[in-house]
Amino acid sequence: MKLTVNGTEHEVEVDPNMPLLWVLRDEIGLTGTKYGCGIAQCGACTVHVDGQAVRSCQVAIGDLNGDVTTIEGIGNPETLHAVQESWVEHQVAQCGYCQSGQIMQAASMLEFNPDPSDDVIDAVMSGNLCRCGTYPRIRAAVKTAAAKIREA
Amino acid sequence: MKYLMILAASLIGTQAFAAGETVEINPPAEGSISTEDALAAWDRIYEVASHPRCSNCHVGPSNLPMWSGPSYGKARPHGMNINAGESRVGAEFVQCSTCHAYREIATGDRLEHSAPQVAMDWRLAPVEAEWFGKSSVEVCNQLRNPELNGDRDYLAIASHLDHDLILHWAWNPGAGREPAPYSLQEHVNDVLAWGVGGMPCAND
Repeated sequence: MKLTVNGTEHEVEVDPNMPLLWVLRDEIGLTGTKYGCGIAQCGACTVHVDGQAVRSCQVAIGDLNGDVTTIEGIGNPETLHAVQESWVEHQVAQCGYCQSGQIMQAASMLEFNPDPSDDVIDAVMSGNLCRCGTYPRIRAAVKTAAAKIREA
Repeated sequence: MKYLMILAASLIGTQAFAAGETVEINPPAEGSISTEDALAAWDRIYEVASHPRCSNCHVGPSNLPMWSGPSYGKARPHGMNINAGESRVGAEFVQCSTCHAYREIATGDRLEHSAPQVAMDWRLAPVEAEWFGKSSVEVCNQLRNPELNGDRDYLAIASHLDHDLILHWAWNPGAGREPAPYSLQEHVNDVLAWGVGGMPCAND
């Protein structure tokens, strides 16, 4: 079956029940998206499907309907996404395992709502766990990214 | 904002149920159901409506889906600070379908604690269908009121049960969750009997 990831079409021969996360990591080799829990409880595997944040461990590849964007496709080292820029500025990451999911969730939110209140940020980002507890820095970086996007 | 477009799409989508035809809709003959029998049918309907598999998503203007039932212990709002918003699909925050992904392929029981999935976009019931924590008389009066039940007569309620795949999930939830009582067909039969019997409520 075919899927488009970060603008590139791929063809994979896998069981249609295979989660999108497995396809991204093991079949296509894009390992920036992380496996955390496998049951939509942690948010580490968040990617975009047609711009909407989805937990890639929960989407069966046979049911995928839309173009996929992963952390590798949202920006690049020369031109970071506003959320990635802010992540660096605020030095958000401690261990960094959750950050690709955090960044993808935040980027999706800001696409829909470029001026989120603290309450909205907390509501949207609560599904993405950070066991290092960097939540204050995550919220600060999201606010900085929102300001960058509004000014752009 | 884009989320308003999603909201608009979601409201249109509430009418677009997937094809059903999974149950027989054969109402009893007119006049064949006594008020007593209809009230007995209602009691069984309320067992279903108040069951966690149904009521957890029939919440009011808080827009907070609930986690309650034997597998949860104490009732509490959905974890992860989930708020489905006025859109009832989470468009303002995290969309329900971020985790409750569209799943066409039957995979049998899902892993415990994983997000329920069906071949429809997951959503809360409409806000006027607030059932969580409400009494049998309250839910009965809501369900027979066209202004609160989506302008449905009893046949339309039965048809809705036939076509809405999220409702079907309640009888096949998998993942360690207790199914709604009776069966979908028995529940539809009770709705039809209650309807033919005049949709009585205990406060009449």
